[in-house]
Amino acid sequence: MLETRNLNKSFGAVPVTRDVSLTLERGERRVILGPNGAGKTTLFNLLVGELRPCGGSVHLAGEDVTTLPVARRARRGLSRSYQKNTLFDGLTVEENLGLAAAVATGHASRLGGDSLARPEVREIVAEVADQVNLTAHLHARVNEVSYGIRRQLEVGVALATRPLVLLMDEPTSGIGPEMSKGFHDMLKDLPRDLTLLIIEHDMDIAFDVADTITVLNYGEVVFDGLPEAARGSKLLKDIYLGAWEDA
Amino acid sequence: MPDPGFWTLQALNALQLSMLLFLLSIGLTVIFGLMHFVNLAHGSLYAVGAYVAASAAAVGGYWAGFFLAPVAVAGLGILLYSGLIRRMRRSGPMAQVLVTFGLIFALLDLSRLIWGDLALSIELPALLAGRTALLGIEYPTYRLFIIGLGLAIIAALAFVLGRTQIGAMIRAGVDNDAMAACLGINVERLFFIVFCVGCALAGLAGAVAAPLLSVTPDMGLQILIPTLIVIVIGGLGSLKGAVAGSLIYGFVQTFGAVLAPQLASVLIYALLAAVLVIKPVGLFPAKG
Amino acid sequence: MFRHTPLRYGTLALLAALALFKAVTADYFGLEILTEILILAILVIALDMVAGFGGMVSLCHGALMGVGAFAYALLTVKAGLTPPLALAAAIGITGGAAWIIGAICARSHGIYFIMATLAFGQMAYSYVFQTPTFGGDDGLGGIARLDLTAFGIDLNDSRTFALFCLAALAASYCAIVGILRSGLGRSLTGIMHNEQRMRALGLTVWRVKADVFGLSGMIAGLAGALAAQHMMFISPGLLSWKVSGEALVVVILGGLGTLVGPIVGAAAFVLLKHEVSALTSYWHLVVGVILIAVVMSRANGIFGWIETRWTARKATRRTGPADAPLKEARTDA
Repeated sequence: MLETRNLNKSFGAVPVTRDVSLTLERGERRVILGPNGAGKTTLFNLLVGELRPCGGSVHLAGEDVTTLPVARRARRGLSRSYQKNTLFDGLTVEENLGLAAAVATGHASRLGGDSLARPEVREIVAEVADQVNLTAHLHARVNEVSYGIRRQLEVGVALATRPLVLLMDEPTSGIGPEMSKGFHDMLKDLPRDLTLLIIEHDMDIAFDVADTITVLNYGEVVFDGLPEAARGSKLLKDIYLGAWEDA
Repeated sequence: MPDPGFWTLQALNALQLSMLLFLLSIGLTVIFGLMHFVNLAHGSLYAVGAYVAASAAAVGGYWAGFFLAPVAVAGLGILLYSGLIRRMRRSGPMAQVLVTFGLIFALLDLSRLIWGDLALSIELPALLAGRTALLGIEYPTYRLFIIGLGLAIIAALAFVLGRTQIGAMIRAGVDNDAMAACLGINVERLFFIVFCVGCALAGLAGAVAAPLLSVTPDMGLQILIPTLIVIVIGGLGSLKGAVAGSLIYGFVQTFGAVLAPQLASVLIYALLAAVLVIKPVGLFPAKG
Repeated sequence: MFRHTPLRYGTLALLAALALFKAVTADYFGLEILTEILILAILVIALDMVAGFGGMVSLCHGALMGVGAFAYALLTVKAGLTPPLALAAAIGITGGAAWIIGAICARSHGIYFIMATLAFGQMAYSYVFQTPTFGGDDGLGGIARLDLTAFGIDLNDSRTFALFCLAALAASYCAIVGILRSGLGRSLTGIMHNEQRMRALGLTVWRVKADVFGLSGMIAGLAGALAAQHMMFISPGLLSWKVSGEALVVVILGGLGTLVGPIVGAAAFVLLKHEVSALTSYWHLVVGVILIAVVMSRANGIFGWIETRWTARKATRRTGPADAPLKEARTDA
């Protein structure tokens, strides 16, 4: 469904992504691990087209999308959420989801009629709100709701484009363990045919949600395999200095 | 085909226009680069400089105006800075554009109130009047003086920005003012100094331009658009950008008027549009 | 997102009633002022649509209006087109020009967008100024008004023409509200709040910006064609950046992103101009000081200030003065 071949990116003389080759099957849930500065977010930016690679290629559903701009990749089914909330702050939760759903249903640049009032848009909004547990907050403004709810909406907005592949950049970053648990269940309940690529720091969630694990270090894939294999890996322990052993 | 002397003359004219624009744009661009502040009233400060120079010259001769105008305009700059601009620092570009737009209106009518609607002029001192033989042509000495002055100021600023401590602080501030503040640089004081120097240069430009053009209330408005074009083509915040932008404007305008009089004025705007399409932040922006 | 509040409806009704009353009772000079206000109002709501709801602060709307005026004048005076056709063509030409400007400037933001639009405006100004066909410095005269005698309407009567402009303003306002509520308008608001995210969702951002800028240009073109008919004479000064700057000043004075506010601003600006210039020749000083005061006060113009006070009072009544929210109420856009 999503594949990269020998993806390379440098900022100046500093390589941040080195020869990254990944293959995600349809419905696969893969978690990317790696210490800060390993190039995880850069990889996301390369995948969605916010950065152009210096070498290598990105394939979505079998087609080379390396040279396509962000918006066209998104319309082909690649969606992402951001590590730092990237929402429409002055608008309501419902409007946030509606804007995304309007793009997905092709009503976003039409002059005839209100895109947010379209039945198919409303349907997506209701469905996604249910998926990310936001139904009770639909009419609240984004800058009035709690940080945790905004994190949920961050994923919700990405989901409302009806993607084939969803990239989530640390969806649980900055929220407490209580909410983290709820988030965890929410991720598990996402449709099984949706391909997920998740950057995650919380090892418990990572190993629980993931079908497969990829570990990045200094921009390189140093591990690619099943969670069970990763759990025992000496390499991973070295990279994280045993940080999750206590957990 | 005109003789080579004609082209030398045009090149010198272009250079002279460039230097005048440079004096104005360098202040505006560094103020923007450092403070992210768009001072549309920069042209009005130039007009005030020209008026002060004209008044002083009527009493004490050309040089009195030449030296008094930068000081007076810097003084006006201090007033504006402490009264308005310091408070507008945190506002968005829109609010800044509008406040300085209001300042243009206010300064325009204030100069009319003080100096009247009639155009003023300045007598040149004997030293700078007349013509000098150069490269096979006779060229007005005063225009050569402007070229020399401009080049001297470019050299001085390049030295200050490149080789001195305050220059390093300014470059650090343009690059990242929060970081510069963390390094112990008094950013507020730096802003103040740069703003005053920028205003003084605008006043100097006014004093220098006064003998060439007649001094009128709307001369500030007339120079504003060319100055803005210079800094946007050059890229905001950099000395190199201001020099490049000034030269591009001066030469395109002068040679455009000679070679394609019909297109001359459209040409420079088309160039600006082209630059913005290809490099939306100008040719040599201070930040990559 | 644009919403009508009771306050906005009320203000609109009041403005419409005042305009109708003036149109019926005013003398010739009053009608001239009223028409000037109405035409300026059409221009500034077109500008508010892109600046207040799309973050595209344009400094070329005056020039766009000028393009509309010159297109109408040239097509009627020089090309001999009938006024209705010329009016439609003027709107179309201005819209096309605006679409191209919007498409080219879509990648620029903040001060660069302002500068880029200024450059295009000045380009049009210089071109018109230097081209003899356009009358150059002298301008063009003898422009005919729309002939609606078939419907029993004589636009050469200044009272009828004022009413006609009022109808045009109402139509423009409804068109803009329609655009802002369409999918295109919703996406535009999304772009203003977070352009990066809209792109990541799959929206072709530059197209939306260009389309809305083009539509705004069409309305500015209508304002221009009306201005040409009103004065029956046009000069290149119409395209000068000072006109664009004044339009922006009016939007700010009235209240950016409120759509109703700029209409209030247009009325205030024109009345102020005539009142002050009757008293002193230094009216720029007065406008400059007022502009600085409004921006420094951090209120969103006259109407924004009223809306803030209104919401605060309603909140006080609801919750009691003790815990009235002190934070500034949002001027909803």
